[in-house]
Amino acid sequence: MVKRNKLEIIKDILTIIKNNRNSLKITPLIRKSNLSTSRFSSYFNELLRKGLVIETHNEGRKAIRVTEKGQKYIEKYSNIVGFIEEFDL
Amino acid sequence: MAPPQGMGREIGQGIMNQMAQASLSTELIYAFVIIIISLMIYFGTRELYNLTNHKGIKYFRLSFLFFAIAYFFRSIMKAIIVFVDPQTLREIMFNVGNAFNPLILFLFMYFSSMAIFFLLYSVMIKKWNGKINFVMFFNAIAVFIALTTILTNSAKFILLIHFLLFLFVAFIALMAYKESKNKKKTHGLYFAYIFLFIFWLLNILDILIPNAFQSFQLLIYLISLGLFLMILYKVLRKTA
Repeated sequence: MVKRNKLEIIKDILTIIKNNRNSLKITPLIRKSNLSTSRFSSYFNELLRKGLVIETHNEGRKAIRVTEKGQKYIEKYSNIVGFIEEFDL
Repeated sequence: MAPPQGMGREIGQGIMNQMAQASLSTELIYAFVIIIISLMIYFGTRELYNLTNHKGIKYFRLSFLFFAIAYFFRSIMKAIIVFVDPQTLREIMFNVGNAFNPLILFLFMYFSSMAIFFLLYSVMIKKWNGKINFVMFFNAIAVFIALTTILTNSAKFILLIHFLLFLFVAFIALMAYKESKNKKKTHGLYFAYIFLFIFWLLNILDILIPNAFQSFQLLIYLISLGLFLMILYKVLRKTA
């Protein structure tokens, strides 16, 4: 199996949340993202810092949602990868 | 009946002035187009950078921002060259009492060197792994190049520095190409970068040694424009 790069992992995490009606708890997200807890934690913190996801609290239940910026990331993913490959960045 | 001697000289000066103005107009149009292309690349890649914070994209963008600034100062320098007698040009360019011109020359040399370094860094950053802060190193070299250009009065010395710089840049670009995973796809890109470096050098020499490339000036402008347009096309294809 080919090792996923950072950009691909971010896209996968965002897509998993999006495909779950844009609201997912942290435990199933870790399981579905196929990452160890420590690796997931580092990616998750980065996603929060970049504003690609937000944590919401609904009746005491914590869930993760993809922001508008995160949605844009999913849409532009193929462009981002294409650009990086085109200019060997 | 032959015209009076004074009138002949006036006609000659008039033709020279018109030629100088035509040359300046060409230069200003050339610089304006390059600045627009560079800014289009810079702003066109803003969204991709905001979404990813990718360091390669960051330095690629900065490179073109610095190209735009360098070309802005280049056009100011050219305007000075066109309107000043070439014999008194060196005196003005290196006149310590007149701080304005050395300052423009310094800024032009600094931003142009940094533009080249950042373009190089954008392709090398993933290979160098970001362990060493090369930005400080590049800044130091760019300041050194800019300072030696305004402090030394020797065109040969300045030429030597730029030739060494070109060898360094070409060597790094060659290394990056050798390590590139997708040689087929990036072959044209590295070819374009090497040509961009060569034509950037010619642009610098054109400033430092006025009239050195007078007969090829238009050709240099057209090829430089072609290279920038090619990069813009590649950017727009992926960002539009």
